[in-house]
Amino acid sequence: MAEVLLLGLFHEATSTADTIDQLRRLGLPDEMITVMSGMPYRPEMLGRPRPQRRLGRISLLGALAGCLLGLFLTVGIFLLYPLEQGGQPIVPVPPSLIILFEATMLGAMVATFVGLLLENRFPIFKSQLYDPRITEGHIGVLAQVGAALANQAESILTANGAHHLHRVDASQPPDRGHTVFWAMAAGAVLVLAIGVLLIAYDIVKVSFPTQMADQDSTAYEQGPRLAAPAEAVPIQGPVLIAGQPATEPISPTVNSLQRGQVLFGITCAVCHGQDGTGDGPLSGYFSPKPANLTGEAVQSLSDAEIFLVITQGRGLMPSLAENLSPVERWDVINYVRSLKK
Amino acid sequence: MRQRHLLLDPRRPWDVDKDVLDPMYRTGRRFWMLFSILGGLVVMWGAIWVYQMNWGLGITGLNRPVMWALYIVNFVYFIGIGHAGTFISAALRVLKIEWRRPISRAAETLTVFALVAAAMFPLVHLGRSWKFYWLLPIPNQRQLWPSYHSPLLWDMTAILTYLTGSILFAYIGLLPDLAMARDHTVGWRHRLYEILALGWRGTEREWANQETALNVFSYVIIPVMFSVHTIVSWDFAMALQPGWHSSIFGPYFIIGALFSGVAAVILVLALIRKAMHLDYFLRDEHFDGMGKFLLLLSFAWAYFYFNDYLVAWYGQAPVDKVLQDLFEKGWAAPLWFLMLFSNVVLPWLTLWSRRIRTSVPALFFVCVFVQIGMYIERYLIVPTTLGRNALPFDWGIYIPHLPETLITVGAFALVGFLYILFSRIIPLIPVWEVYEGQVLQGLRRIGRALIPTRAEPGE
Repeated sequence: MAEVLLLGLFHEATSTADTIDQLRRLGLPDEMITVMSGMPYRPEMLGRPRPQRRLGRISLLGALAGCLLGLFLTVGIFLLYPLEQGGQPIVPVPPSLIILFEATMLGAMVATFVGLLLENRFPIFKSQLYDPRITEGHIGVLAQVGAALANQAESILTANGAHHLHRVDASQPPDRGHTVFWAMAAGAVLVLAIGVLLIAYDIVKVSFPTQMADQDSTAYEQGPRLAAPAEAVPIQGPVLIAGQPATEPISPTVNSLQRGQVLFGITCAVCHGQDGTGDGPLSGYFSPKPANLTGEAVQSLSDAEIFLVITQGRGLMPSLAENLSPVERWDVINYVRSLKK
Repeated sequence: MRQRHLLLDPRRPWDVDKDVLDPMYRTGRRFWMLFSILGGLVVMWGAIWVYQMNWGLGITGLNRPVMWALYIVNFVYFIGIGHAGTFISAALRVLKIEWRRPISRAAETLTVFALVAAAMFPLVHLGRSWKFYWLLPIPNQRQLWPSYHSPLLWDMTAILTYLTGSILFAYIGLLPDLAMARDHTVGWRHRLYEILALGWRGTEREWANQETALNVFSYVIIPVMFSVHTIVSWDFAMALQPGWHSSIFGPYFIIGALFSGVAAVILVLALIRKAMHLDYFLRDEHFDGMGKFLLLLSFAWAYFYFNDYLVAWYGQAPVDKVLQDLFEKGWAAPLWFLMLFSNVVLPWLTLWSRRIRTSVPALFFVCVFVQIGMYIERYLIVPTTLGRNALPFDWGIYIPHLPETLITVGAFALVGFLYILFSRIIPLIPVWEVYEGQVLQGLRRIGRALIPTRAEPGE
């Protein structure tokens, strides 16, 4: 059945309400009439039924989803990957409440916005029957009527003072929104791709200089550490004269080796690997690679030289002087000696 | 009465639309001059940031014990500025205060731009800025998830929530005005607004949904706004640093944020009224209302500051005494007294007078001083306090170096640049809100007087 769209503009609310009354008496159901305006007229001002409001419920659902997300972030993650921190609880309650609050609110707001778009079927880029004068303070009444009633409806509109009357066939006008749609789709795909890449950094490796070792600042701030000249007189701490033991070495007793293993696991293994072969979890980030401690090159060094390397660092290896006391360094050296193949 | 109240002075909507749209096309010599100066400063800001990333934070004045300094001061300051916009549009909307109508947009945009500037500073302060994603809840390359034990992570979550909410809130309120701009422009602007307006026609369903959405946002974003600056204060208060470890820091920071934020909104309103000829929309009643609000916030700020001060003063703990002596008699005394003058003495002496509140130059002057006072307040809290701790061998004085000083200048330029750029793109006056107010407002005769009244449509 052929349908006709009629759009008329009115100057104010009373004549609009009269028109709507008369259209209704003509037998036009409320949902076939749309009122458009440049400011929010309340439905009762125009004698219209209140539109259905589902947005509040959508916001509530969003808040719930946000709360669940917050629970995952604060509780779920740390049950999956427990992170011990100085005897604190794995899931501390008060800080979790803060995150739960923020996530709930974020969920509510994002859901409200998305709900607004969905409820209004936004974005609409195809041409709709509309008149730009509506944002100049006119009220537009859009009626969708069957062809049989079209003339009667039109005369109701004109009788009540409608100006700038539009009358078009209700068959769908052509869609003009393709470019914008594809641009938006491309944007969404891009955002999604970046999101996936951020999470899949371990699988899809994008070469990007992120290591401090690659920065100029390592050279600037961490100048070469040289051994003190032979004639220097130590005033505090271990004596760092090349070729001489800095402090009294400790004999490789069972206890010393045990301490050395624990300290090695804490301080050295992250780069040199648990068994000292230079393949720790971070070794991939360095060039040259961390030294293989079990090999000839390291094992042929004297104890004093190894002590110096731990104390001062060498190449990309940082000084561990603040991490290991002199006695602990000897424990580690004893342990490293035990790794020899 | 018509001259005093915008809502009682309706004009033909087309003229009103033109009044808002016309200044957006005007890009005269003065505009381009300002545009290039601010733009140049923004480029400088970026260049110095890259330079700092290359050479490391060693080029700044940061050193033990002051590891938080100008960047954190700026962060707190801009987050504070970002509080007023939301407060004005959300809280005054909830309270149905009518004079908010023409100023809400200008305030919301200031919120968004100030938050953008603020959110940059933790990244600048990171040193290795490209590691910022370690803050996000995804594991880094050492297979560690961020730990929610840390206030810094609460901070990131809160700011992200607030920034997202503020942008969406501003955008939802903007939709009808974008449609208005779409209907009255041609060329690239028309196409831009066509996309941005999402096909808004102003149907009943759209208005009803928009009202619900704005109501939900208003009620949700006010507690979020309170949480944001409270959490910023927790960045400090959770540490055992003397002068920071105080339970009043949360509310005290919020009041400070609103205080500096409202002053900043007044500055922006005065500037756009002059530059874009918005005298029809922004009238004495608006400056009067904002001035009263500012005075109230000045009272509240003084009350909270006195609370914080008195407890430390009465306790006479050695470190607290060292800090208070530094503020009252030490090298920081000029700053401390200038802060008290700008935040308390000057507002209390001037803002009680209606004549001063409605005189834009006078109010502008007071607000500039409030900005200076609040900036100093943050400077005293961050690097100055940090230089005095419980171990006197570790005391120090922070002196800003050139890079962070220039980056600070660049951040102010960034906010100004974004503002003048967007003042030519988005309508800074919410036209539909003004219409609505004018339709609902009327005069009622009671005895011999005509009294402005407002219709309250059924809920």
